[in-house]
Amino acid sequence: MSTEKLTTLEEAAALVRDGDTVAIQNMATQAAPMALVRELIRQGRRELGVVCLVGGIPVDWLAAAGAMSRLVGAAVSMEQFGLCQRYRKAVEAGVIRVEELSETALNARLGAGARNLPFLPTRGLIGTDLIDVNDNLVMLDDPFGGPSVVACKALVPDVALVHAHKADRFGNIGYEPTALWPDLGIMPKAATTVIVTAEEIVDSEVLRANPDRTVLPGFMVDAVVEAPFGAHPTSFSPRYGYDTAMHLEWIGAARDDEAVAGFMERYVTGPADHAEYLETVGGTERQAALGNWEQT
Amino acid sequence: MSDWQNSPASEDWTIDELMIARLAACFADGDQACNGMASFVPVSAFWLARLTHAPDLVWLAGAVGLEPRPDRVPASTLEAPLWRDSIMYVEQYGDFWNFALNGRWLTKFCVGAAQLDRYGNGNNSVIGADYHNPRVRLPGTAGLGDMGSIGKALYYWNPNHNPRSLVEKVDFISCAGYLGGGSERADAGLEGGPELVITNLCVLDFHPDTRHMQVASLHPGVTFEQVQEATGFELPAPESPIPTTAVPTAEQVRLIRDGIDPDNMRRREFGG
Repeated sequence: MSTEKLTTLEEAAALVRDGDTVAIQNMATQAAPMALVRELIRQGRRELGVVCLVGGIPVDWLAAAGAMSRLVGAAVSMEQFGLCQRYRKAVEAGVIRVEELSETALNARLGAGARNLPFLPTRGLIGTDLIDVNDNLVMLDDPFGGPSVVACKALVPDVALVHAHKADRFGNIGYEPTALWPDLGIMPKAATTVIVTAEEIVDSEVLRANPDRTVLPGFMVDAVVEAPFGAHPTSFSPRYGYDTAMHLEWIGAARDDEAVAGFMERYVTGPADHAEYLETVGGTERQAALGNWEQT
Repeated sequence: MSDWQNSPASEDWTIDELMIARLAACFADGDQACNGMASFVPVSAFWLARLTHAPDLVWLAGAVGLEPRPDRVPASTLEAPLWRDSIMYVEQYGDFWNFALNGRWLTKFCVGAAQLDRYGNGNNSVIGADYHNPRVRLPGTAGLGDMGSIGKALYYWNPNHNPRSLVEKVDFISCAGYLGGGSERADAGLEGGPELVITNLCVLDFHPDTRHMQVASLHPGVTFEQVQEATGFELPAPESPIPTTAVPTAEQVRLIRDGIDPDNMRRREFGG
């Protein structure tokens, strides 16, 4: 018998503790586990270290809520919607410390974590200043006599947060055809605890019909939660596009402390649960429009 | 394939179109090209090259979607509408970086940087002297920190040539160019390096010995003095008349306006 992994957002988010290093799937405006991010903010989590390849609105919201004190990642940007201003302010004020890595260096740190290695090397970053400011990166002679490489120290996040299209109640995770960013390929494999939200919980038979689309095995996953439109306001290909209006509303609010507080109250801490959030942001009508990738 | 070569010079080209046509000329049939975030000029250039002189230029959209067929340049150069109808999704953690690191493929890379210095080093990390206490936190190096160090030919594009973006020395190197100039890059064991800088005023390249940036061509109507005025370091005085950058043909302009980017997304990069 497989182990039951199905739980609620509230209980899943409670697996994350203050001070944890949390790897969050996200590529600028894409595929972030936003329902979990909102729940972490609602629960008042503090001092989180966030690991992102390219962090977007989840990083800005966590920064705005005072929930994070560290960022490990390759970039933070909402692409066409610009820099994450609350994150940027917090970094410039010394509230968030940044460990900036190139993509291969982040992948190497997580890859070493996943494979229980002390480090993995990369040829990226050589000649940049990013090596000098980071104790987790060390130049290393090639023991076989070739050019030097950069040793990237293993990173084992306490938790990885991932959003998926489908999951069964035992934590087997199915993805529909779409681009696969490194988050999914390596973050859950490196992390101690893995929490997955899924657009829908399906019978295992549905996954058996396309086992090539099962991307994570149940034994690796600690908790799975059903969260339709769980990546909103980021996109989740192929199901729905990013919410342009909400990103614009956020960047408008982000300029001003009071407006930020109002925005967070209305959309993040105010709604009692994910269902109420979805109603607040426009319900089924809005979902249908996003499903047509309007304004993208 | 359109008869773009025999088409007359455009009479109403705009600067974005000139930059796109110039960047397109850097990519040849059989090359592979990929793009990252907010890269309307490179995306339009790859697309234009494919419609004109390089129909077999391979395009890896957003570094994930191989040979996509978007109907126009969308609002994001990283999101799904750009990589629609791809022939393959390249898994980014493993395959994209396998292809990029291998050395045989994706040998050219387009770079946008907040700061670029006279030796072609790029900065997208921090403004200010102290990395840990920056005056301005920039988005971060993303893939540039890799692409600058793994033997790629780098093509910088800069739609806003001014003394803040073209500086004597970057505050922080997040993309390795020729480092301190001369043989420093080669001494560090790095191959490849910056080839060209295409701005809204001119095209710059790098002196083969000193590796100092120099003006290779001036866009029509722009003087060397104007470029110097807009540049945060002293440019080597030209020894002979500087050539004028070729303007796009009427057909190239038509392809960009009507076929590739009818929504003018490319103009979003200008005037910042």
